[in-house]
Amino acid sequence: MADRTITLEVFRYQPNGGSGTAKERFQRYDVPYHEHWVVLDALNWIKDELDGTLTYRWSCRMGVCGSCGMMVNGEPKLTCAAFLKDYFPQSIKIEPLSYFPVERDLLIDIEGFLAKLKSIKPWIIRQQEKSLDEGEYLQSPNELASFKQYSMCINCLLCYAACPVVGAEEDFIGPAAMALAQRYNLDSRDEGEDLRSEALGAEEGAWGCTFVGECTEVCPKNVDPGGAIQRAKVENTKAFYKRLLMPWGNR
Amino acid sequence: MKKSNEALWWSLFSAGGVMSALFLPVFVVITGLVVPSMAARNGSRVTHEHFVAIVSWWPVRLALFGIIFLTAFHAAHRIRHVLMDLGWRHHGLPLIVLCYGGAIACTGAAGWILGTF
Amino acid sequence: MRAKRFQTPMPSTWFLQRAGYRRFMAREATAIAFAPFLVYLLVWIHRLSQGPEAFAALIEVTRNPVSVVLHSLLFGAVLYHSFTWFNLTPKIMPMYVAEEKVPDFWAAIFMGYLPWVVVTAVVLWGVLR
Repeated sequence: MADRTITLEVFRYQPNGGSGTAKERFQRYDVPYHEHWVVLDALNWIKDELDGTLTYRWSCRMGVCGSCGMMVNGEPKLTCAAFLKDYFPQSIKIEPLSYFPVERDLLIDIEGFLAKLKSIKPWIIRQQEKSLDEGEYLQSPNELASFKQYSMCINCLLCYAACPVVGAEEDFIGPAAMALAQRYNLDSRDEGEDLRSEALGAEEGAWGCTFVGECTEVCPKNVDPGGAIQRAKVENTKAFYKRLLMPWGNR
Repeated sequence: MKKSNEALWWSLFSAGGVMSALFLPVFVVITGLVVPSMAARNGSRVTHEHFVAIVSWWPVRLALFGIIFLTAFHAAHRIRHVLMDLGWRHHGLPLIVLCYGGAIACTGAAGWILGTF
Repeated sequence: MRAKRFQTPMPSTWFLQRAGYRRFMAREATAIAFAPFLVYLLVWIHRLSQGPEAFAALIEVTRNPVSVVLHSLLFGAVLYHSFTWFNLTPKIMPMYVAEEKVPDFWAAIFMGYLPWVVVTAVVLWGVLR
């Protein structure tokens, strides 16, 4: 049984303003301190024991589902992987992920992200599907290795909250979606690079990125979206010069 | 989605980034350390004549032109984007004219100075 | 269209918020030092072409302490650019040998630091020989 407590300052927000309360405010909760607790455990304790109206998204509590991302002391974090002991005895400030519209409290609206994700067509595209009796699409370990890192993304959106371009430019496709575009572009089974290049090569795509690189720093899965976007720039540039020097080519 | 000409600017930026990363440190050492400390000394090998002989050789002038031209576009592109990130995002065209215009002016000056050397 | 909802605003001083942002700004700001250096380099070459007197006058200027300070600042900016550029190169253009990815550390040495040492040595040799 814990006799020590830790204070959480939690961002509260209701779009309609609630019943006469300020629209955005911080609420302090004292939570029992356990060394093995993560911030998500503390939030669950608040919801169970103190305040059932606190709203946030979570599911797997083991760094796989990517739904519990929040700003923890201003740092985008998976709250299931942010241990209280790294902050104790100081209080911890919990806010929704930056630059997303907030539905309520810590719950962000990800519709915009999902539309961006769809714009880069994150699936394997074939010009001509093989028939079933031709067998599966084989891939060598090296071919797998060339994109595997980018396939580890769990869409937790920490990278968006760390990106100043996302903050400044609403339409910027953003790190995770473009890393996934590269994940498919680099897949030996995929033939959809040209179809993705319209979005990826637009100003809202790779060219909006100034390679701040913090997306890569905050990524809990070591996806390196920053590197992926720069590689997309290289490919887009190659295509640009190819068109310039060989306008009779079919790209 | 806005179609982008960034591939052109970015390729110049990248080439200039490589050139400046490779050459500028030693250039600064020459203009800031080697020349002030050696060239004024009597009997120094690093004289006016010595530098004229180096720069007169056409491959050196060609290399200098390439380095200055690409570094100018590198700097122009970076300054443009840094200003955009600092909040000038919606003044795109004036920034393009100002930054790349400066780089073009610098390239022109380099062409004239090195071409008539 | 839904009513406007709360969204964490990005302050105009966003680049001070994180150490990574500050490093990024320092990296990008090196370009601001490049612009006057290019002008100076062109003046330098121009003075050289104008004859021994003009060049000697320029050397006198570069012996001034102000010039030494400016050159030192410039050297810092230029080195910071070189190091950050070489370190980021493998992220942008991964290096492969026989289909195996070369670790970033070695890729930065082969694609950045090694050519840099060679270039610096050749230029210094050309000037000092």
